[in-house]
Amino acid sequence: MAKVYYKQWEDEGIRAPFGPSIRFNWLWLKWIIPVLVLIWLLSGIYIVRPDEQGVVRRFGKAVRVAEPGPNYHLPRPIEQVDKVKVKQIRRMEIGFRTISPGPPARYKFRPEESLMLTGDEQIIDAQIIMQYQIQEPEKFLFNVRDLEMPQGALMDAAEVALRQVVGQRPIDDVLITEKLQIEIDIRELLQRIIDRYDSGVKIREVKLQTVRPPEEVAAAFSDVVSAKEDKDRLVKEAEGYSKDVLPKARGQAERIIREAEAYRAERIKRAEGDADRFLSVLKEYEKAKDVTRKRLYLETMERILPGIRKFVIDRDVGGNVLQFLPLEEGGEK
Amino acid sequence: MNQRKIIIAGVLLIVIVIVLAGSLFMIDETEQAIVTQLGKYVRTVAEPGLNFKVPFLQNVHKFEDRVLEYDAAAAPIITSDKKHLVIDNYARWKIVDPLRLYQTVRDEAGAQARLDDIVFSELREEVARHTLTEIVSVNREAIMEKVHKQCDEKAREYGVEVVDVRIKRADLPAEVARSVYERMKAERQRIAKQYRSEGEEEAVKIRAATDKEKVILLAESYRQSEKLKGEGDAEAIKIYADAFERDPEFYAFVRTLEAYGKSLRRDTTVVLPSDSEFFRYLSPQTK
Repeated sequence: MAKVYYKQWEDEGIRAPFGPSIRFNWLWLKWIIPVLVLIWLLSGIYIVRPDEQGVVRRFGKAVRVAEPGPNYHLPRPIEQVDKVKVKQIRRMEIGFRTISPGPPARYKFRPEESLMLTGDEQIIDAQIIMQYQIQEPEKFLFNVRDLEMPQGALMDAAEVALRQVVGQRPIDDVLITEKLQIEIDIRELLQRIIDRYDSGVKIREVKLQTVRPPEEVAAAFSDVVSAKEDKDRLVKEAEGYSKDVLPKARGQAERIIREAEAYRAERIKRAEGDADRFLSVLKEYEKAKDVTRKRLYLETMERILPGIRKFVIDRDVGGNVLQFLPLEEGGEK
Repeated sequence: MNQRKIIIAGVLLIVIVIVLAGSLFMIDETEQAIVTQLGKYVRTVAEPGLNFKVPFLQNVHKFEDRVLEYDAAAAPIITSDKKHLVIDNYARWKIVDPLRLYQTVRDEAGAQARLDDIVFSELREEVARHTLTEIVSVNREAIMEKVHKQCDEKAREYGVEVVDVRIKRADLPAEVARSVYERMKAERQRIAKQYRSEGEEEAVKIRAATDKEKVILLAESYRQSEKLKGEGDAEAIKIYADAFERDPEFYAFVRTLEAYGKSLRRDTTVVLPSDSEFFRYLSPQTK
């Protein structure tokens, strides 16, 4: 419409009686207006990066989604575009904030976010990281006012999910055994909550970060750990005792048996030896019984008698042996 | 003539712009609006896009069409088991009937104030019906669902839909928290003690079993060894008997002599009757 007027003016301007100054003005306008219009039209060119999608609104109404690459929208105020990083994994921290990613990383803890009640009415300090992605940019842009704000919908929902899931379990499960399940449960609950807001956000992952007993009771908790170690140590020591004593006992038992076996063998061998000796002697004895007998006897006496005290008493006085005994006092040996 | 034309065209353009500005209005994706004519309601614009109205006569009142936040300050509430809880809750809501909202509470801020009343009283009422455990762990979802339903019902009156009511934090007041910490400490001490006693128990068991095994091992070896020794003795007796049986008298003789040799040592004093067998051999007459 503007162009039509302009053409009209231009035509009339050429024939105008006002002189060259007006004509110059017309010429000037003749160039400036198309240039301005061109610039205005070109302002609609935009680039959507590979990790983005663009949502184009015409007079405030979302009309199309622009894929990565160069794109064009009718210039403002007719159309406008919002670019959303749909490939980007976004991250939110509950219970702490990273001040500088380091290394070494520095954190600021938020006990008011991270201290919560467990199912057995104890208090635990739990922090999570939540990762999410924008799945439906249109919903993400237009459905929730405070979605990504601090203390906004996402953060609130994450806090609720964390507390609700932790609140359903006894403290030991949260601290030790069920971390993986807890992460899954939080993610599912969180997704369910934000789906209610139709936020177009997909929760990719919820990760438990620090999960620990509150500072006030940390010492008691670590004492449990050391008690557990004490228990292991006591058992190990006892097992060590067992490992020490039993082999020794087995050795000892073996020795006793071997000794007995030795004794048996010795007894038998000795008996056989004694028997053989006796039989040999007997064989010769039987050849000359009396002589041998006497000889054996005398030889024995000869061997024995020199060393011992001897008293020979007649049978008549034999009834009172004691009266002779003092005579031996100091006697020769 | 031309100049007048230009002026007329200019004026016309300005008038058109003014009229257009007064009659066109844009509703964004995030908005909705109602149109009133001299204060009287005409229509609701729920769809985003370009819209027309009668300029000057009609007015447009825009409202949010997004999910909105409502965050109450944390407040102490008493549960049915008489425990104090500091509850920090939030709600998300949406304007579903802008006309009603406009009529009853005028704007968003008015709605917020009304929500404050509704949510807090519903929540307190519901919480007071449940024990702390139910609120914290067992039933939280169900309780909140109920509060949500009731709030939503009441909020509809103001053209508001309550999307969600949630307990963000349910914490114990500071002084109660202290006693909870004490309880936790006691509980941990109990567990620690239990571990240590269990260790003791296990250790004693292992040691006792070891000692028992040792005693059995040794006793068994004793049994075997005595048996072996007995066998040895028996065998020896048999061998001796077999040999000595051949001439018991000679055996007695030889063995006696041997016994003399062993028992009559240097210090031994021997008193013998002169007519004894022994003496007989010792006496000079026999020589």
